[in-house]
Amino acid sequence: MDLVDRRTLLKLTGGAGVGALAGCLSTTDDGEDGSDGSDGSDGSDGSDGENGTDGDDGSDDGGDSTDAYEIGMVDSQTGSLSAFGERNQRGVNLALQRVNEIGIDGRDLEIIVEDSESENQGGIAAAQKLVNQDGVPFLIGAVGSGVSLAIYESVVEGTDVVQLSQNSTGLNLTDFPGLLRMSPSGRSQSLALSNLITDDGYDEVAITYVNNDYGQSLTDAFVDAYDGEVVYNSPHDQEQQSYSGVISEMNSSGADAWLFITYQAEFATMVNEVYSSGYEAQFYGADSVSGDNVLENTPEGSIDGMKIVVPSAPIEEENYQSFASDFEEEYGRQPTSWAAYAYDCAINAALAIQAADEFTGAALQETVRRVSGPEGEEATSFEAASQILADGGGPDDVDYQGVSGPIDFDENGDPVGFLQVLEVQDHAYEGIDFIEG
Amino acid sequence: MTVLGYLANGLVFSSIIVLGSIGLSLVYSIADFANFAHGDTMTIGAYTALVTFGAVGGLGGAVLGLPYGFFLALVVGIAVAAVVAVGTEKLIYEPLDVDSIGLLITSIGIAFIYRAVIQIRFGSGFTRFDIQPLRPIESLVPYGVRVTLHDVAIVGSAAVLVVGLHVLLQYTDLGRKMRAMADNPDLARVSGIRTKRVKLWTWVIGAGLAGAGGVFLGLFNQLSPRMGFNLLLVIFAAVILGGIGSVYGAMAGGFLIGMINQLTPFFSNVVEALPIAPNWLETVLENLISIEYANAIAFVIMVVVLLVRPNGIAGEGAT
Repeated sequence: MDLVDRRTLLKLTGGAGVGALAGCLSTTDDGEDGSDGSDGSDGSDGSDGENGTDGDDGSDDGGDSTDAYEIGMVDSQTGSLSAFGERNQRGVNLALQRVNEIGIDGRDLEIIVEDSESENQGGIAAAQKLVNQDGVPFLIGAVGSGVSLAIYESVVEGTDVVQLSQNSTGLNLTDFPGLLRMSPSGRSQSLALSNLITDDGYDEVAITYVNNDYGQSLTDAFVDAYDGEVVYNSPHDQEQQSYSGVISEMNSSGADAWLFITYQAEFATMVNEVYSSGYEAQFYGADSVSGDNVLENTPEGSIDGMKIVVPSAPIEEENYQSFASDFEEEYGRQPTSWAAYAYDCAINAALAIQAADEFTGAALQETVRRVSGPEGEEATSFEAASQILADGGGPDDVDYQGVSGPIDFDENGDPVGFLQVLEVQDHAYEGIDFIEG
Repeated sequence: MTVLGYLANGLVFSSIIVLGSIGLSLVYSIADFANFAHGDTMTIGAYTALVTFGAVGGLGGAVLGLPYGFFLALVVGIAVAAVVAVGTEKLIYEPLDVDSIGLLITSIGIAFIYRAVIQIRFGSGFTRFDIQPLRPIESLVPYGVRVTLHDVAIVGSAAVLVVGLHVLLQYTDLGRKMRAMADNPDLARVSGIRTKRVKLWTWVIGAGLAGAGGVFLGLFNQLSPRMGFNLLLVIFAAVILGGIGSVYGAMAGGFLIGMINQLTPFFSNVVEALPIAPNWLETVLENLISIEYANAIAFVIMVVVLLVRPNGIAGEGAT
């Protein structure tokens, strides 16, 4: 063959390679979004189709003189995060049943759900329809952090509309105080990890993180919070065939505590390489490294003693347990934290509406934080909280305790997160502790 | 970890890349197009072995920490990868009346089809062979070499396959015909070689080696539908570095790229230790030669080699 052939080939393979990579990039992006709304350890991945059962909304109460209160919700009904969407819908439908059994000043609550397709563009279109056509003053949405932010910046910011994200955990949402969220920020995970490692008596740590926004931001927050010395801190790319370089560098850094902020497949590869290299260390991980995939694909006993921090509903609290049993009765399965967040979004919205003087965005802005804020009498259900308001209480007289945690939005719109510490024992995850973020 | 340790790791990783790159280069030299479905052919081999191994089980004894059943699965994986590649050649590439660029684009489509079929059957998650992972060989640990018996098996099997291919190319009738065809297909045909048949054998050998590479990749790491495709860029680099179309060049290229990839931590240690004259240069080098850029460093070295030897290590398509 001659030189020209080779040159053309080089160009073409290069071009095609770039093309193919561009393809992968978009798919891995979706994956990242998925795990930054992070899948965690919830076992019930919704594969059933029964999410559309809209309980009892509106019309059966048709004799009432007043119409239902309408609020909007942008959810991932299709797309890469549709599993979250299904979980959300179960939670929201259950919440609507609870609210409409009692009613808000004799009126029903109705939630108009629009699909974001798990994409920024779809989310913006859905939010525009809800805000501009349906005129909702309260918007629950969205799942992916990027989508929530896109909606806030292009639709909600500058209006009176209240936006409350149900599942976003991205750290940068903290920079937008007007954008509330029900799920705790990833930052609380980083703080919890740094406390955990310090409490376990390690003053040196080696970190490796997945080379994207999620890994970088969690790691930065960890390094800021950690008092000890970070002796090794290096990113790794996704989907590599070998991480033995990373592993051997972590080993030669001399740290006894190793922190992994990455995804399941990458982590499983690393564990296998640690095992076959015969290294020993105390492992720590963010919630994205935990899952059945890891347990199935790592040698028995290879990660025993590892500690992982995952966002979790306070599953030992009484109100969560009653939520869980109602949920199981309705859907025949255990609820996930993500369903609990969505449930609390709907309840919080209903209480804000009941406490507000009028059904407008401006009035709801006044009440949405206060009905679940730390002041006032604690109420663990909509019924109890609504009773306090009906007895003449103001928004500051009630403190709704959600099934997903105490809520208590801070000045940045982030909730007090509830985190669970898992430890791997006999090659299975065991909850050993709960932390308030 | 010592230099020996890094070299040992590099040898294991290189073995897998060599198996992949030989097939790619062979097919390029004879079928005359860059086969982008090659990485996914590796994936097919790996998943076939997974299914076979699951079906036959261990079959009693074990060699080098690997049950007999695994070697049977390896053979089946190689066979199925070859059959799939030949079938694709017969059904798609051959009837298509397009030039090598058309075939290249087609092969990207074929790659997606292979991957989609595997995803439909096995899902997009990852899995491993049901073989107990091993600890490093104790007697080597004092030298800083941390390899398992499985790694030894990978290197050994790859060596057997590579030597076998060498014998086939140099000392058999088929090998001579293949070399003749790679040099000049028209002349080969005029002199009575049945070029179509030789081409089919090329596919069988190339895809078979890819299948073996895939099985070892699965053993080395894990199986996922994207495993082969993720390695393909590195394999292309190896082939181009070696001199595209040259089998021995592909071996050398694969070996080099694999080594460089695994030796990066060692390089960064060296740079830290060396007293490099201007301080800023040392800082720059320390920042650039780091594990996260392992692949990038391999590619830079590839570019440098190509600047010196534009036709790759093995030069003009000398098979």
